[in-house]
Amino acid sequence: MSIVTRPAPSVVRAVAGAPRWLRWALLTGGLAVALWLPNGLYPAVAVDMLCWALFAVAVDLLLGYTGLLSFGHAAFWGTSAYATGLVAIHLGAPFPVAVLSGALIAAVLAVPIGYLAVKRTGIYFAMVTLAFAQMIYYIANNRRGLTGGENGLQSVPRELLGLDLTDAYYFYYAALPVVLLGLWAAWRIVNSPFGRVLVGIRDNPARARALGYPVHRYKLLAFVLSAFIAGLGGGLFAMAHRFVTLDTLHWTTSGKAVVMVVLGGIGTLWGGVLGAGLLVRLEDWLSFSGFEAVGLVTGGLFVVVVLVFRRGLWGTATDVLRRRFGR
Amino acid sequence: MDRRAGAAVVGALALLLSGCGGGGPRSSGDSKLSGDRIVLGVLNDQSGVYLALSGTNSVKAVEMAIADFKAKHGGDAITEDITVETADHQNKPDVANTKAAEMYDRLGVDTILDVPTSSAALKVADVAREKKKLYFNISGATTDLTGKSCNRYTFHYAYDTYMLANGTGRTVTEQGAKNWYIVYPNYAFGQDMEKSFSTAVTGAGGTIVGKDATPFPNDNFSTFLLKAPTLNPKPDVLGTMQAGGDLVNLVKQYNEFKLREKGVGLSVGLMFLTDIHSLTPAALAGTTYTDAWYWNFDAENRAFADRFLKETGSRPTFAHAANYSAALQYLEAVQAAGTDDADAVVKQLEGKSVDDVFLRNGKIRAEDHRVIHDAYLAQVKPAAEVTEDWDYVKILKTIPAAEAFRTPSADCKL
Amino acid sequence: MSAFLQHTFDGLVSGAFLALLALGLAVIFGMLRVVNFAHGAFYMLGAVGTYLLLTEFGIPFWWALLVVPLVLGAAGMAVERALVHPLARLDPLYNFLLTFGLTLVLQDLVKLRYGTQSSPYATPSALAGTVDFGLFDFPAYRVFVLAFAVVACVAVWWLLGHTRVGMVVRAATERPELSRALGIDVGRWVTPVFGFGIALAGVAGVLAAPMRAVNPLMGADLVIVVFAVVVIGGLGSIFGSVAAGFGIGLVQAWGESYLDRWPIVAQTSVFVIMAVVLLWRPAGLFGREEAPA
Repeated sequence: MSIVTRPAPSVVRAVAGAPRWLRWALLTGGLAVALWLPNGLYPAVAVDMLCWALFAVAVDLLLGYTGLLSFGHAAFWGTSAYATGLVAIHLGAPFPVAVLSGALIAAVLAVPIGYLAVKRTGIYFAMVTLAFAQMIYYIANNRRGLTGGENGLQSVPRELLGLDLTDAYYFYYAALPVVLLGLWAAWRIVNSPFGRVLVGIRDNPARARALGYPVHRYKLLAFVLSAFIAGLGGGLFAMAHRFVTLDTLHWTTSGKAVVMVVLGGIGTLWGGVLGAGLLVRLEDWLSFSGFEAVGLVTGGLFVVVVLVFRRGLWGTATDVLRRRFGR
Repeated sequence: MDRRAGAAVVGALALLLSGCGGGGPRSSGDSKLSGDRIVLGVLNDQSGVYLALSGTNSVKAVEMAIADFKAKHGGDAITEDITVETADHQNKPDVANTKAAEMYDRLGVDTILDVPTSSAALKVADVAREKKKLYFNISGATTDLTGKSCNRYTFHYAYDTYMLANGTGRTVTEQGAKNWYIVYPNYAFGQDMEKSFSTAVTGAGGTIVGKDATPFPNDNFSTFLLKAPTLNPKPDVLGTMQAGGDLVNLVKQYNEFKLREKGVGLSVGLMFLTDIHSLTPAALAGTTYTDAWYWNFDAENRAFADRFLKETGSRPTFAHAANYSAALQYLEAVQAAGTDDADAVVKQLEGKSVDDVFLRNGKIRAEDHRVIHDAYLAQVKPAAEVTEDWDYVKILKTIPAAEAFRTPSADCKL
Repeated sequence: MSAFLQHTFDGLVSGAFLALLALGLAVIFGMLRVVNFAHGAFYMLGAVGTYLLLTEFGIPFWWALLVVPLVLGAAGMAVERALVHPLARLDPLYNFLLTFGLTLVLQDLVKLRYGTQSSPYATPSALAGTVDFGLFDFPAYRVFVLAFAVVACVAVWWLLGHTRVGMVVRAATERPELSRALGIDVGRWVTPVFGFGIALAGVAGVLAAPMRAVNPLMGADLVIVVFAVVVIGGLGSIFGSVAAGFGIGLVQAWGESYLDRWPIVAQTSVFVIMAVVLLWRPAGLFGREEAPA
């Protein structure tokens, strides 16, 4: 009855069955695409893809590997975006430092929210995180002196050692290392002993408890780590757009990340990256096609995926690969 | 199943990677016209609360301006190739930011027009400054566009919070409604409006007996409406700074709680013709507000409105007329400069006095790029006096251009 | 004193909407273990439907109050059969996700066709006046809304307690393990109950039409407040949901009128209360702790 369709469907295991050359080919191929992306796409869109990829991976870390669906991760994405912006504006910090401090603040916020939320599981967890995120949204809307309210936080400086990063094309390459770092961290977490305990808790919490694992504390730690990675994405997003708005905290933002994860494949980690790229691209394409019903298309697509395509893109792809090369 | 799934994956990847115009840093050449053509970009709300008051009909208005420009100059026009690009910013500043950059970079847009929602409007001003391209804001309200966020390439048309407050707040107070109770949505626009109104009302000898920030968005104003008649002294007028859906709610509930019967009049900070149309004039009868332009003010306006009605099926709001005017004045400036180079066009525009269907006694101020013109104090007619669809208000007073807008702000350094 | 009574009454009226929505959500959850994210969207459809009946077909409010919930109830049953049911045996989160997607689709469909401009709907003429309660007076329509909602909640309460369906629903809601063990046939009531819950959201929507602005997003943020309400009341508890709905309505109204210098208090009160309840009674004020799923 878990949200994940197969037991432990970690991509590592799925591809582990594949020959070594294939694993390297996938990794090199992925990096090559990442390096080429802003040459083939409008650079600002490519930067957006990077930010959302981190966000989706963060949500999947929690959903796919801990079995907790957070519908309120915008709280961390948005809080980090604001914090990053404020640090950059008031301290003039170079952008990686600002992003990192934003992510740290998001992680700190995740402690009390997570402490309350992990008391519940499943659907309750989703509703509780949703409600807390909405509360943060209202607070940010109200603390206008800090957040600029509806006007947003304007003119966030984008600085790195005096380099001119105004052009999104260059900023993409400046941001890429931060994103890769975040993705690598997520991958490390999933494949650490800690990650395996999380999967164990997800699949059988009673057993994990019986084995003496402090289940709540593990979940809380996973929640905070996930918030940190979402915060990295949110901070970069603030830098990418050079300002922050209330939308970054709204529940529709949380929903968008969840859509990306499900589209890419729950519990596949890299599926989130794929889902993010796809959705950002789709939205960009829709908004220039004259057909403005973005919600209709993404919502409809999402319903179909949930109904008949629950493994998502990455899940399906690894399945095909495994069948071809497997075991 | 597997094959189908595989195909879906491949298809999705193809969509993801399909290029759309190469990226990479760009530089512009220097010919007389960039890309040998002029492209006007209309960036506004095409699906949300401001759809009716600007939206796709603003695009129509800009197209009318292009047609009129071509008709006027014929073979002497700087180019025949004038097109409009348009995008929906969904009232979200981040979307506006991306779209504006894309318009300038990817679609070769020479100037962006319209852009409602203050936060989005300010963001596009940033983009215009960075890209050194022109930007005429029409339907954003914030005075920051000609204040601390002003820049060399940004012009502010039509209206702003100062104009609204000064027009309505001062005039209504002078006409005898001394005591005001102000409710305003708790976001930038509302807070700016509240400040401007309070200043205008007290400046005219009135008193603010109470003011309340309401949540945004909000669909229940009963607390504030219950409170209004119990204030001491009892307010003569309830000044609402709500806009869009919130305004509809508030007016509906104002009528439900029978405040007019209890002696509390209604004054609206910002209202468009389309708001009155949607709420029906009966719900708003007697309400005063400041209008930047009214379609049935004189024969010239009416002629424009008749053409507009034929094109779109509705009468123009002031935002539509202002989009028309801004597009026309931009094209005239390019014609006069003989190039679409932004700096040359700015030089043409700065300090220019203009009169057209929208701008009466208009002047493009060089100091802060505020476009000033006559404004109007309007009052919604009682239902019995409405004889024609869309003809809902009477103009009580014309506010001369020089008084309608604030003097250039010291915060603005172009 | 009269001001206090007025604000209290006002709070009960907004509470009535929360209670009706929470009740529908609780009934659906009880039967199907599905949290219906689209509940706010169906509330919106109720209001939009009322508006369309009047403008397109000239059908007045009183008929809408009958027709709209029936139509939405039928639509809800169709949704249950076509979309919700196929996922019934999977993790309930899938249905939460599904109804989230459905929300986006429904909102955008209405937006595409009618825009997001708010449409006003006139108060039914019979209720256009005010009712004088001696110490204070109040718009008649709002008095009607409160009375109607209370009657509806009591009627549902009676149905649950005195009919066969009611027993099944109650058993399934409040003692899920036990009713399955006793072999109560829950399955055949699932679809009608889902439809009934949606119809309740529809009723709330119809009632909202003359009072609030009708637009495609009117249910979007409301549904989150309703989520918090049912968490406070206890998701499994039908009485708890209704009580929490009225309670939160009161708290918000008092907050808005007596702490008006801090509007943030009224806005976030529901979430703060939720946090406190989670700390103190994780299963909600009237909920029963279930075995972890």
